[in-house]
Amino acid sequence: MTSDPKEAGVAHDREVGGIRCLEVLDHLADLLDGRLDAATREQIEAHLRDCNWCERFGGAYASTVADIRKLLADPEPLDEAVQERLSRRLREALEVHR
Amino acid sequence: MRRAARGDRDAFGALVASHQSAVFRLARALTSSEAMAEDVLQEAFVAAWRHADGFKGDSSVRTWLLAIARNKAARVQRPRAGEPTSTVPLEHLGADAGWGTDPSPEQAAALGERRDALLEAMESLSEADRAVLVLRDMEGLSGPEAAALLDVGLSALKTRLHRARLRLMAALRRGGRSDQ
Ligand SMILES: [Zn+2]
Repeated sequence: MTSDPKEAGVAHDREVGGIRCLEVLDHLADLLDGRLDAATREQIEAHLRDCNWCERFGGAYASTVADIRKLLADPEPLDEAVQERLSRRLREALEVHR
Repeated sequence: MRRAARGDRDAFGALVASHQSAVFRLARALTSSEAMAEDVLQEAFVAAWRHADGFKGDSSVRTWLLAIARNKAARVQRPRAGEPTSTVPLEHLGADAGWGTDPSPEQAAALGERRDALLEAMESLSEADRAVLVLRDMEGLSGPEAAALLDVGLSALKTRLHRARLRLMAALRRGGRSDQ
């Protein structure tokens, strides 16, 4: 009874390296942050070596996070009109002695 | 910052200039309209001026300002009635984000296009998802800092961040597919 879970209409989930794909998915954020205990990390690394599904998705996850951190680190400068209204509001507020 | 706390307007002006866009970005993430975000921006800095002596220096000035903005946003943004409380199973979120599906052809997008796609995908997320991404991945706050600021526990924060990233990936895939 080896049915491909993808054909069964569900996301893949198999045990590789002593850990299931779904658990790997669950741990991706901690893996990226380097916050996993050594034993779990080794299991996941073994899983990623032998499970091409998770290897690929883990890579996509990591590169999306890297893109957010790199490309969206700096906030957009304020629109001039927004800036102007903020300055006006602050001038009013700063008039009043606190 | 200490000078601003003593009522030095120039020092406060410099503080506003260096943090206004970050405060506005969080306000945009937390509120559902540009107008509300602008109110939050203004009221956050007014409050910062009035309570500058309440800055204890145990966080960065930026984090302190973001916390004020978050509190202001919580006042103007009514909690969504009927927000689904049930959580979508992780495998469904993963599947939407591309987990276990055939790889979509890699579009080697220019950095500018990639950035625009990310911003557009951000817009499609809920306030809660946007806020956690802004604080953790864009502002680079630590988990405990972001959890304190959003008034949630650390493990809830981590779950929220992971799920927000998966929803962002799903939105990016949808965006790529519906592109003309
Ligand atoms: Zn796997």
